[in-house]
Amino acid sequence: MTKPVIEVESLAKSFGDNHVLKDITEKVEPGQVIVVIGPSGGGKSTFLRCLNLLETPTSGKVAFEGQDLTTLDTKSVNSLREKMGMVFQGFNLFPNMTVLENIKLAPMKVKNVDDASATKTAHELLQRVGLEDHADAFPSSLSGGQAQRVAIARALAMNPEVMLFDEPTSALDPEMVGEVLNVMQELAKDGMTMVVVTHEMGFAKSVADRIWFMADGYIQEDSTPDEFFSNPQTERAKDFLSKILI
Amino acid sequence: MKKRFGLLLAIIVALFMTVVPLNAQHAQAADNSLAEIQKKGTLVMGTSPDYPPYEFQATVNGKSTVVGMDIQIGKKVAKDLGVKLKVKSMSFDSLLVALQTGKIDMIISGMNPTPARRKNVAFTHVYYQGGYSIVVNKTDKAKYKDKDSFKGGTLAAQTGTTQYNAIKKQTSGTKTKGMTSQSDLILALQSHKVDGVAMEKPSAQAYVSNNKSLASIPSHFNMSSSATSSAIAFRKGSTSLVNEVNKTVDQIKKQNLVKKQYLPAAGKYLKTNSVDTSMPHYWKAFATGVEYTLIITVCSVFFGFIIGILLALARMAKGNPLKTALRWLATAYVEFIRGTPMMVQVMFVYFGLGLFVNLPALTSGIIAISLNSGAYVAEYIRGGINSVNIGQTEAARSLGMSNGATMRYVILPQALKNIWPSLGNEFITLIKDSSIVSIIGVTELIYQSNIVRSDTYRGVAPIVVIMVLYFIMTFTASRILNYFERRMQHD
Ligand SMILES: Nc1ncnc2c1ncn2[C@@H]1O[C@H](COP(=O)(O)OP(=O)(O)OP(=O)(O)O)[C@@H](O)[C@H]1O
Ligand SMILES: [Mg+2]
Repeated sequence: MTKPVIEVESLAKSFGDNHVLKDITEKVEPGQVIVVIGPSGGGKSTFLRCLNLLETPTSGKVAFEGQDLTTLDTKSVNSLREKMGMVFQGFNLFPNMTVLENIKLAPMKVKNVDDASATKTAHELLQRVGLEDHADAFPSSLSGGQAQRVAIARALAMNPEVMLFDEPTSALDPEMVGEVLNVMQELAKDGMTMVVVTHEMGFAKSVADRIWFMADGYIQEDSTPDEFFSNPQTERAKDFLSKILI
Repeated sequence: MKKRFGLLLAIIVALFMTVVPLNAQHAQAADNSLAEIQKKGTLVMGTSPDYPPYEFQATVNGKSTVVGMDIQIGKKVAKDLGVKLKVKSMSFDSLLVALQTGKIDMIISGMNPTPARRKNVAFTHVYYQGGYSIVVNKTDKAKYKDKDSFKGGTLAAQTGTTQYNAIKKQTSGTKTKGMTSQSDLILALQSHKVDGVAMEKPSAQAYVSNNKSLASIPSHFNMSSSATSSAIAFRKGSTSLVNEVNKTVDQIKKQNLVKKQYLPAAGKYLKTNSVDTSMPHYWKAFATGVEYTLIITVCSVFFGFIIGILLALARMAKGNPLKTALRWLATAYVEFIRGTPMMVQVMFVYFGLGLFVNLPALTSGIIAISLNSGAYVAEYIRGGINSVNIGQTEAARSLGMSNGATMRYVILPQALKNIWPSLGNEFITLIKDSSIVSIIGVTELIYQSNIVRSDTYRGVAPIVVIMVLYFIMTFTASRILNYFERRMQHD
């Protein structure tokens, strides 16, 4: 048996009196694709952000490759974040840099990769997401789908071991959703470990190894896509599915 | 006689006297003032060179130099003490503070030994006994006889001077008008805003002999002799030094050197000065002014910007108690700087820090303006940083970038772009506000224009020249800034 990449134990997170995450214990194995679904405001983003410590958990443990992140100093947290790429709903590309510069920045400033090899890697990644001719464009000139693919390439440039996606297609026009999901599917096929928050049920069914259904601060169900969609166990999940699968 | 002494400065002096009582006590405990000067080998004389023929700027061998009868006296004093004389120019208001804080060793600047001043400094014997005249337009000369002929009219003098008070107290039915500079007064006279200007005889003489449209009449003010006399000021308690210098002063009086040698010598400079009073003739003075204004502005913008970034980051520090303390400190600093006048800050740096390190006026000016500008820039930068979407920080941090790297490579470049117009405004404001350092004698544009004005006896022309020069500088600056603003507009 291999070691889990991410292990979460009794994770809780509150904002003041708002107890968003109550008690979460889960594992992500290497190469697994986890899709997190659940009602809005259920704490999915907060959970994802706790994994790379963009949010500091109120209590509990988040371990990456056996190392508890909550006990680490700032510097070690920084270097662990390199290994967890994150893609946001709003892309968050750096508007003052070209596509190429967006991708090169972190490798050069964090890993001290030299300019030539950073450029080479960036071009390869752009080819992989199908945007090699947009290397010198500024983000403002890209469509949403293109911007999100650049964001994925930017995260991949750090050569991460896990990719976290927080509703990567929710801000896109419908006709652009496909191009982003295709890139993600390719990634999954290449064996990337992924935790994906999404409302794209088609993607969940076809790509996910496990579905985590999250509501009211708990992971209510942890099952395979087949089990979850054909035979949900909890009332909460049944109710949720009935609302989205009309 | 010049007697002006701003309330502000009085307060600052009082402050220094309480903060640094050591100096005074030290001087009283053991008076080695004479020995100290002789050991040092130089005697630094402070003067305010806008008061011909006592002291004024003249072009000697193509170089702008302070000349006048007070300078001659200073030279003689230094010679008799066996030391070298160094002349330091500053505004009259700053002289007493400069003396008390050790920037200068003595004041010779047509200063009269009033009882109020005697409380703070030690005076020598009187070296010159003056009197007052009233300058009028030549066309009106027949109308006026003396101070009592101006009923229903207006008499003017430098605000706060002895003659100013004399007009108020000793005339009736006459309006009193005060202005800060002698050249402004003459201008007011020539444009018939006032009917006569009371001033000291030698000054009146200088104006009249250099300006054919003016004439002078006796004032017949009723004055005690102490109010019309000039003496040299030293730090309080320098008894040995004062006694030694008194020997020189007594000799000057006995031989009547002032009337026989010093005033005629000063008059010669006035004559050569009046040969060409056209503005192009003074281009060098203006060029120096522009040069210093630009030096001050560019340096202050540069350092102010760095200080601003550090302050802005400090103001946003949170986490451990150390960072919280830093945040409070930075906030307090910004509030304090924004809540006090820049003029006071400039004086504080020059005189206050001057107690501990001897900073030249230019350096003090740049430090003060940088510190001031830094507080304002910090607020712009803080606003700029807050205007950058939080998602940018999250994206950078999720890539493993440290807080510092995120700030430097991602947030600050965007913040600066957002606040570029505000920073540009700050730069242009500084070009104009740098004029404040003229009060500590930095030869920037305003200071130079005052020199030219008292040199040429022309009131308006130098003002027009510097107005145009300031405009050229600010306009060029704003063009350059716009150019860069456009270049940054790619996203
Ligand atoms: N920084 C914060 N400060 C205070 N409350 C927060 C913060 N971030 C999230 N919350 C609260 O936590 C709760 C869960 O938010 P979260 O964004 O994790 O939900 P979500 O499941 O991702 O919802 P959505 O589907 O709308 O994205 C919400 O009530 C939200 O208001
Ligand atoms: Mg969310």
